[in-house]
Amino acid sequence: MEKFKITVKRRIALSSGIALVALVLGAYSIYSIITADISTATHSDGFVAGFQFGLIVSILGLAVIDIIKLSLAMKDETKLKLLYNKEHDERMKAIRSKAGMPLIAITSMLMILAAIVAGYFNIIVFYTLIIAVAAQLSVSAVVKLYCMKTM
Amino acid sequence: MKTRIKELRKERKLSQEELALAVGTTRQTITSIEVGKYTASLMLAYKIAHYFGLTIEEVFDFSEENEF
Repeated sequence: MEKFKITVKRRIALSSGIALVALVLGAYSIYSIITADISTATHSDGFVAGFQFGLIVSILGLAVIDIIKLSLAMKDETKLKLLYNKEHDERMKAIRSKAGMPLIAITSMLMILAAIVAGYFNIIVFYTLIIAVAAQLSVSAVVKLYCMKTM
Repeated sequence: MKTRIKELRKERKLSQEELALAVGTTRQTITSIEVGKYTASLMLAYKIAHYFGLTIEEVFDFSEENEF
């Protein structure tokens, strides 16, 4: 369990770093939206900027939740053991594997990054990539829910 | 697969949560094994049997699995 405690501490540090970066990017994103030249901006420009801001806020939110969850687990041995069991549970591992994790998560992340970059050049590519990500995540979620019911 | 886990738990007045915590799994996995939805791995089956002080064959019923 001592090894897992070190892992949890590392994850808290990593989530704190992610939250800090998201906070800085979020502040910059707000500044960009406020100072944007409305007269020349198109609807697509606003959509891409809004999507980026939403993504940053979501990452910040998830990082904060992760920090709180892990910090609470670090204070209580039983909670830490439950967290360890949950993460190393063989049934959940099998379900995650059937739902295509972690490959779906990695490809989705790469596709979102590609979509953000593509958004500056071609809005159609941006929409296509975002829809593809939403579709593959939805299929993965449905498979996961189905497996959780049947396994 | 049929198991005697529920029966053994009841005898020892043990909750699914307590058993899960002791054998390093989740309550949901214990539920799935008990109702026969999920077949435990050899390692988990050993841990469960060892926890009750029995052999794997005494906890898990393999008779149906051998039928072709």
